[in-house]
Amino acid sequence: GLQVSTGLQDMSLRDRGGRRRDFHDFGINTRQAMVHVQESKTGFSGKMIKLTTNHFRLTSRPQWALYQYHVAYSPEMEARRLRSALLFQHEEHIGKTHAFDGSILFLPKKLENKVTELLSRTRNGEDVKITVTLTNELPPTSPTCLQFYNIIFRRLLKMLNLQQIGRNYYNPSDPVSIPNHRLMVWLGFASSILQYEENIMLCADVSHKVLRGETVLDTMHSLHSQVGEERFRDACAKELIGLIVLTKYNNKTYRIDDIDWDNNPKGTFRKSDGSEMTFLEYYKKQYNIEISDWMQPVLISQMKRKRGNIEGSVALIPELCSLTGLTDKMRNDFSMMKDLAIHTRLPPEQRQREIGRLLNYIQKDDNVQKELRNWGLSFDYKSVSFTGRVVQGEKIFQSGNMFDYNPQFADWTRETRGVPLIRAVPVDSWLLIYTRRNYDVANTLLQSLFKVTPSMGIRMNKPNMIEVDDRTEAYLRVLQQRVTPDTNIVFCILSSSRKDKYDAIKKYLCIDCPVPSQCVLARTLSKPQTIMTVATKIALQMNCKMGGELWSVEIPLKQVMIVGIDCYHDTVSGRQSIAGFVASLNATLTRWFSRCVVQSRGQELVDGIKACLQTALRNWSKWNKCLPSRIIVYRDGVGDGQLNTLVNYEVPQFLDCLKSIGTDYSPRLTVIVVKKRVGARFFAEIGGGLRNPPPGTVVDTVVTRPEWYDFFIVSQTVKNGCVAPTHYNVVYDTSQLKPDHVQRLTYKLCHMYYNWSGIIRVPAPCQYAHKLAFLVGQSIHREPNLMLSDRLYYL
Amino acid sequence: MDKNFQEEFTQIIKFKPPLYKQRHQFVKDLVEKYKPKKVADLGCADCSLLRMLKFCSCIEVLAGLDICANVMQENMHTLSPLPVDYLQPSERSLTVTLHHGSVAHKDPCMLGFDLVTCIELIEHLEEPELKKFPEVVFGFMAPSIVVISTPNSEFNPLLPGLMLYRHPDHKFEWNQAQFQSWALETARCYDYSVEFTGVGHPPEGMEKAGFCTQIGVFIRKYPRTGESVQSEKPTEAVYKTVFKAVYPSLKDEKYLQNAVISEVIFTAQIMKHRLMSKHQEYGDDPERKSKFQPSMDCFSDYLGKLVVEKNMEPFVSGNEVHIPLTTIFSFPKVNRLCGTFEKLCKLVAGKITLSSDGSAVIFNIEHE
Repeated sequence: GLQVSTGLQDMSLRDRGGRRRDFHDFGINTRQAMVHVQESKTGFSGKMIKLTTNHFRLTSRPQWALYQYHVAYSPEMEARRLRSALLFQHEEHIGKTHAFDGSILFLPKKLENKVTELLSRTRNGEDVKITVTLTNELPPTSPTCLQFYNIIFRRLLKMLNLQQIGRNYYNPSDPVSIPNHRLMVWLGFASSILQYEENIMLCADVSHKVLRGETVLDTMHSLHSQVGEERFRDACAKELIGLIVLTKYNNKTYRIDDIDWDNNPKGTFRKSDGSEMTFLEYYKKQYNIEISDWMQPVLISQMKRKRGNIEGSVALIPELCSLTGLTDKMRNDFSMMKDLAIHTRLPPEQRQREIGRLLNYIQKDDNVQKELRNWGLSFDYKSVSFTGRVVQGEKIFQSGNMFDYNPQFADWTRETRGVPLIRAVPVDSWLLIYTRRNYDVANTLLQSLFKVTPSMGIRMNKPNMIEVDDRTEAYLRVLQQRVTPDTNIVFCILSSSRKDKYDAIKKYLCIDCPVPSQCVLARTLSKPQTIMTVATKIALQMNCKMGGELWSVEIPLKQVMIVGIDCYHDTVSGRQSIAGFVASLNATLTRWFSRCVVQSRGQELVDGIKACLQTALRNWSKWNKCLPSRIIVYRDGVGDGQLNTLVNYEVPQFLDCLKSIGTDYSPRLTVIVVKKRVGARFFAEIGGGLRNPPPGTVVDTVVTRPEWYDFFIVSQTVKNGCVAPTHYNVVYDTSQLKPDHVQRLTYKLCHMYYNWSGIIRVPAPCQYAHKLAFLVGQSIHREPNLMLSDRLYYL
Repeated sequence: MDKNFQEEFTQIIKFKPPLYKQRHQFVKDLVEKYKPKKVADLGCADCSLLRMLKFCSCIEVLAGLDICANVMQENMHTLSPLPVDYLQPSERSLTVTLHHGSVAHKDPCMLGFDLVTCIELIEHLEEPELKKFPEVVFGFMAPSIVVISTPNSEFNPLLPGLMLYRHPDHKFEWNQAQFQSWALETARCYDYSVEFTGVGHPPEGMEKAGFCTQIGVFIRKYPRTGESVQSEKPTEAVYKTVFKAVYPSLKDEKYLQNAVISEVIFTAQIMKHRLMSKHQEYGDDPERKSKFQPSMDCFSDYLGKLVVEKNMEPFVSGNEVHIPLTTIFSFPKVNRLCGTFEKLCKLVAGKITLSSDGSAVIFNIEHE
């Protein structure tokens, strides 16, 4: 029998000790409070489409149950290993198949008696009485059983010789190496077993782990050679903090939280037995590892969970740590991402094939099958199929014109080119700042802008052309001297993607002197063949930043305020969290009020969000001469396992806030949690093959959760790989809207993001909130001036 | 057989570090001293000794044998290579194998070992097994060194609360004289020498009791026998292999090539970066270009000292940066990996963009 103690320890089925976050948000039943979706939470509009997914049914023997026992020792035994050793002296009684975490024992069979007493002897001859008491007979669908399945499944993956990194399991034997970028990609699986609408299912998805063939010390050396001594420490902090590392000597992952420059491998640390030892000695003694560089600093990783909730930290030696994952810098490296995408973006057929491979391993491995059989469990090795719906495409309206476009492409760039905008803001007074080297580029841009703007209905005057030195201070000086209250927008052509210059400009123009600004890299403007397209996009973006409106879709709801919230977690500077908050201002949902909350340590983000909602309502009433009768909040940026906090803390705060507006004010409130990172994938069965489902595909059966009012929408298209559905979970709803209407409205909102003339993955307000939070988190670090809040200045 | 940790709990008060750790350390010290390439642990149980030994860089083959498959299976995954072993393959090769079987049976997979350890094993053997044990280990396996440890019963009165044996599964516990006479007889019979020692010192004044764990180190007196003798030995496999892990190693061409390519590109990129930053500083002044020297200002002497000869210098030609392979070869890490320049050329050929004559790594700098 296999003991699942490692897993049990991690998942902590019991309540005592360090509790692990419940990544699956078990046991949060939000649907029961919403009467109108008790019977049905499904929509009806659209065409049917046959879909398969990456879910596989878990089946158990008829009358299957899991037997939970409490195990007590007399005299009391403390050590977990000793407890299990003493218990398993009686394997003939309890059987070979068991799971034991030191106090709770799970068995696939019922023992003869409710209470079984066993006698064991320790090696110093002490007799120990073990009392095994049946505490629970768990049906297959009980939450404890679900946790148990996940533990057993992880155990199976381990038996298949897959390597655990973080939460997922990877196959190390056949890596893809990308030497140009010193990267290695491991193929693996992300999996979870959950209770879905009608069945307990395994959701298995392909996961890729990007690993780096270099140690942290190697990275430090190359940074040193790139930035030089002076900026070295800063560069290291920027590049390394927040990254996950693997160590040479164990199978754990650690997050780099800090770098201790005053320490080195010759430094000492205190061992658990209280003695002091240098790192050099420790690694030599423990792992026979000789550290070659004695001058390197030491990495610090904070331990989140530790017994007794004591937070501790671990010191790591850079030379012994390998990096995993991508840094922001790497994500911005176009050629690197392109090289990676070849290996990681699997088209539907191939993705499904890889997933099938995992199921095949499970099916073919004798040990795995034996373990499953012993527990009385098995899988359906064919993935689940069902029908979804493709809702009707939305028409795009722009100044009295209506556009149809090919719904397959989910893009109307071509159709709306050269058509007057809904609201074109004239550019009467503006600055165009460039360096001497970019003089020609500036002129080309200007000519192109003059060519493309008239057909959009944008009136544009000649700008104030200002040449500057290519230094941050030079730019700032010009801004201080030349920006006047009449300035509509400031346009800066930057010669490099140096972040500090961009940050300084944005900081000044968002906080000190609130004027919309547009920064563009000279390189973007340097290609004659694309300059007209680029100029068109820039003109649209400038217009939005000044408060213009581009297009709209039909919105049947009246007096509604739509809110989007997303969070950005700054891992580098002091671990700030920033929430972007965006609320509609008008009936066509073409104007938005935007604010953000910069949360300092120990402060709850939600307090700030409450204040944002208040000001948003005030602004809405200013624009509409009344208060909205409906408020629909799309809340993005809720991590796995955080749903509980959202439902029990954030939603009541929203309600509180609405109450505070006035006693006679009771609008209908809907709160929808938006999740982009989900394991579910859908494949359309078209012409005997598997394709990505078309935009507008809605799934609200089979793979949704019975305790939630939730649905999936595939709104965007992708050129390569598999499209990821977005999960929407309506956690609170007094709107009385039919599920079909909520789904349709959500899909409509995915058409309203003005930086992309097409359909996006999330409702526009979420994407705006994301953009805002990102700008503030990356560049500004403070709440921007409220003067700008009625414009999309952060696009 | 959870012998290790049970002892830890009863004796942690008395021994620091715990006795099982002292036994493991003893084996490790022996490995450091004799540098065996092939090591087998008989009665490996939870594999904790193997787990420690896999970090000893001299060992290339590591095998475990136990009569209980379950206890091995529970812990065998801890002997798998770590992700990092794949990312940075080691220079040595290492294969770890676990067998299910009895020390009373001969299996050819146990032949050719340099060191065989039997830590707290023999006291678990029934009489008939114990009888066959010397023939299997000393006669058949016949490694250069055998280490046998077993409890010393003279020490037992010093252990609080101990009734009969230290573990319920023990079939016997010998005093020093019993163990030594058995060991000497065995050594004599199979042409080994034996020395006695132990771990777990007795308290002061009780020195006569001897070590808590008594250890015999057997050294084979005759040189390794050739093929002729081995061919007489039975070749039928009776053990069942329950686990096998082959560690990635640079001895394997596939891993070596990957490592070399990655190192070459990495080195070349550092050189390119330096060249480019000098270029930016000085413009394209050819006078200045020749003054380029790799700066050695790393916070420790990472790149080593290298002499850049005139014809080894990287240079810019049009949109291309040329980094001569000879320069790259002079970097210690690349040098160590490849050994010879020819090997370097062979490994990178067709995998990295080279100049037409194959003498330099080329980067295109147009889009930068």
